[in-house]
Amino acid sequence: MYSRLGEITSMDGSISVTLAAHQAIGLKGIILAGTEEQKAKYLPKLASGEHIAAFCLTEPASGSDAASIQSRARLSEDRKHYILNGSKVWITNGGLANIFTVFAKTEVVDYDGSLKDKITAFIVERDFGGVTNGKPEDKLGIRGSNTCEVHFEDTKVPVENVLGVVGGGFKVAMDILNSGRFSMGSAITGMLKRLIEMAAEYACTRKQFNKRLSEFGLIQEKLALMAQKAYAIESMTYLTAGMLDQPGFPDCSIEAAMVKVFSSEAAWQCVNEALQIFGGLSYMRDYPYERILRDTRILLIFEGTNEILRMYIALTGLQYAGRIITARIHELKRATVTTVMETVGRKLWDFTGRTVDMELTGKLGVIHPSLEDSATKLEENTYYFGRTVETLLLRFGKTIGEEQLVLKRVANILINLYGMTAVLSRASRSIRIGLRNHDHEALLASTFCTEAYFQNLFSLTQLDKYAPENTDEQIKKMSQQILEKRTYICAHPLDRTY
Amino acid sequence: MSWVQATLLAQGLCKAWGGICRATLTGTSISQVARQLPRGLHCSAATHSSETSLVPTPTEPQQSRTKALVPYENMFGQAPNGKRDKASFLQAVQKFGEHSVRKRGHVDFIYLALRKMREYGVERDLAVYNQLLDIFPKEVFRPRNFIQQIFIHYPRQQECGVAVLEQMENNGVMPNKETEFLLIQIFGRKSHPMLKFLRLKRWFPRFMNINPFPVPRDLSQDPVELATFALRRIEPDLSARVTIYQTPSSKDSTDAADPTQPHIVGIQSPDQQAALARHNPTRPIFVEGPFSLWLRNKCVYYHILRADLLPPEEREVEEIPEEWNLYYPMWLDLDYARHGWDDYEFDIDEVEEGPVFAMCIAGAHDQATLARWIQYLQETNPALAQIPVVFRLAGPTGELQTSAGLEEPPPPEDHEEEDSNLQRQREGQS
Repeated sequence: MYSRLGEITSMDGSISVTLAAHQAIGLKGIILAGTEEQKAKYLPKLASGEHIAAFCLTEPASGSDAASIQSRARLSEDRKHYILNGSKVWITNGGLANIFTVFAKTEVVDYDGSLKDKITAFIVERDFGGVTNGKPEDKLGIRGSNTCEVHFEDTKVPVENVLGVVGGGFKVAMDILNSGRFSMGSAITGMLKRLIEMAAEYACTRKQFNKRLSEFGLIQEKLALMAQKAYAIESMTYLTAGMLDQPGFPDCSIEAAMVKVFSSEAAWQCVNEALQIFGGLSYMRDYPYERILRDTRILLIFEGTNEILRMYIALTGLQYAGRIITARIHELKRATVTTVMETVGRKLWDFTGRTVDMELTGKLGVIHPSLEDSATKLEENTYYFGRTVETLLLRFGKTIGEEQLVLKRVANILINLYGMTAVLSRASRSIRIGLRNHDHEALLASTFCTEAYFQNLFSLTQLDKYAPENTDEQIKKMSQQILEKRTYICAHPLDRTY
Repeated sequence: MSWVQATLLAQGLCKAWGGICRATLTGTSISQVARQLPRGLHCSAATHSSETSLVPTPTEPQQSRTKALVPYENMFGQAPNGKRDKASFLQAVQKFGEHSVRKRGHVDFIYLALRKMREYGVERDLAVYNQLLDIFPKEVFRPRNFIQQIFIHYPRQQECGVAVLEQMENNGVMPNKETEFLLIQIFGRKSHPMLKFLRLKRWFPRFMNINPFPVPRDLSQDPVELATFALRRIEPDLSARVTIYQTPSSKDSTDAADPTQPHIVGIQSPDQQAALARHNPTRPIFVEGPFSLWLRNKCVYYHILRADLLPPEEREVEEIPEEWNLYYPMWLDLDYARHGWDDYEFDIDEVEEGPVFAMCIAGAHDQATLARWIQYLQETNPALAQIPVVFRLAGPTGELQTSAGLEEPPPPEDHEEEDSNLQRQREGQS
């Protein structure tokens, strides 16, 4: 339901960002961590739109690094208020909002008695006094939404307005961000579909060299790519939405993160390609196309930058996997004869190219037989990915958190695998129940799977130790040399020595 | 067959014989008599097949048949104000139920009702079908032991149930949970109607979308809208423009020239316009038609404006000018062509036809209307003025009307000449 709304509101980037900032993150805190009184007090007005909410976490010195915020809230003498001091920057709806979810550091007595600074979440109303906001920022894209600095000077926040536990703000922030993330997928889907329509219309009407644009292969490739990505994003979003709709409170934070990363990157790529199709028109301010490009650029940055989210996906996954295969890793570390023989045997097995069967296809398979090849590819990828993860954990152990290039590849593979699953299940269902144009869906699904399969294979080969495809060492060396001098260090081509 | 069954069968046959004799003597319906047979014997004979009576008297069964049908026909005939719609249909069905608790002859009644549905216009209404199924007595026809399950228990009733579902299938009505519940109540879970219901439920959703070019259920009856829809259906190019040249309703009622002008709706895409502009004026173009296009149960006739293919000698070779593309050469100066193994151009099923320049759907199929169409087309295709137009119209029998040969090009906006031209055409035709 939320996803369908998201598709509609994505007509305009600014509108959807304003709405998302109000309800996906602004008041999510009250819903997730608020007490009954807080909910009864604030939610009715927020739901009707009388008051607008904003989410205040970012400060000039701490964007992705939320734990280093400088705003402080100290308890007043009569222990009824917290005095909040600090300034937040880049707050969407900052100028319009009445209710802010503010994160500040408070002194908390730890369980062993020492004083620690921990983040706490507060619901701050503008009427508490001391809340000022700067002028709206001049942004590249989503210029319709109000983004400004918000300053808190000795704002009195009643003790009842603490969200959750004092000192538990970090967890509250994490929950809010994880749940608000996946709405981006549906907004991007809506936008991409409209973009495909516009681009196809243009390609069919414009003629150059006595041929329509739609007859040129490169343009057809762009449209096909856009359709594939839109289909994949749609499938992933609705699969995640379905998972979230299950009873209970399933923790779909990794899936939401995967949806966000994939959809924002795919959106950027597709919008770029679409603008290529429009040619010179795309550059003119009179047409809406360049605005879509500018609005899309922010998607890769806000709600958790894509790099950070990749780390999150990879690390959370590895944490989960690592716990399960701890026993096996210890065994491998001890390197007994049996394990060595097993490993050698398995490598020979792979060498002979035996196919992996995880029961997706075949008589009891859930995938429709026409998508059998893609399902086999998915199974193969999953199996080899599992083996690679074991090897990685064996090699790096706990310190894998520092190997960002390795984690990036792991995250990419994970996103591709999730995409393949979503796409195959949706295409299979479409064929089974006979939706319109299901053969087109099957085509999109199989092409997407083929591409993802080969990308995954490449990443997997790169993850091997001493793989020639792995350029990590060279990358690190290059960047070290550049950062030493903080400039481009090569000699100019026209320099002479003689 | 055990001896119990044999005795029962014998008793049943005697009773049937007696019943039929009674029927021929008293003239009551055989189906009514059959109700009195013992229920354990599932040879519910003669509910439907009055023709296969054991007594070969041709006239008597007919009498009884008409007599049996008369009360039911009356039920359907007595609409309050003669209006045939869902309310009166349901009323008739209800009346049957009130007629007697025993519901004698319900199978006949249901068959009759199925036949009458089309007249009352309710053949696509699921609620009506559910009401029809409701006529069956519940819990009676369910098999109670395994013998009854093996053999078709109450075959005529099951056939009737299947006939109801079949009419639902033919009209594309999807049954719902109420139907399922009714069927289970009436026939049980393993019966033939239930089997048919399950098949409907499985296949209907899958077949809903298999037509890539569906025609909407409620097609508008207005000829102009129908023509627009049909033309859009024929022409796949989305940039083609449909123009309504003439509508049937004449605005000026005192217009004596064309009191009932037929509608003319035409379609032409920019590609076709360009092709017409390029057409060689020495070669004629033909107006051919009418070709029929069926939309559900309506047939529309369309005409096309086409030219013949140019023979290979006269086909102009596209010259690629040397300085065309600033960025990359449009053609390479190499001597050899595409390698045979990579040449996928030839397709045995592809037949090259001459270009079609425009299509139209007109109310009348005579030359006058089509000449008007050509005149209207001239507004957007000025080149048409120089090109001779030949009318190759097929009459109602499908034969080519012997029209005059090459026509002079229709002159622009000159009423007298136009009239004389039209007169000449008519003379030429007759």
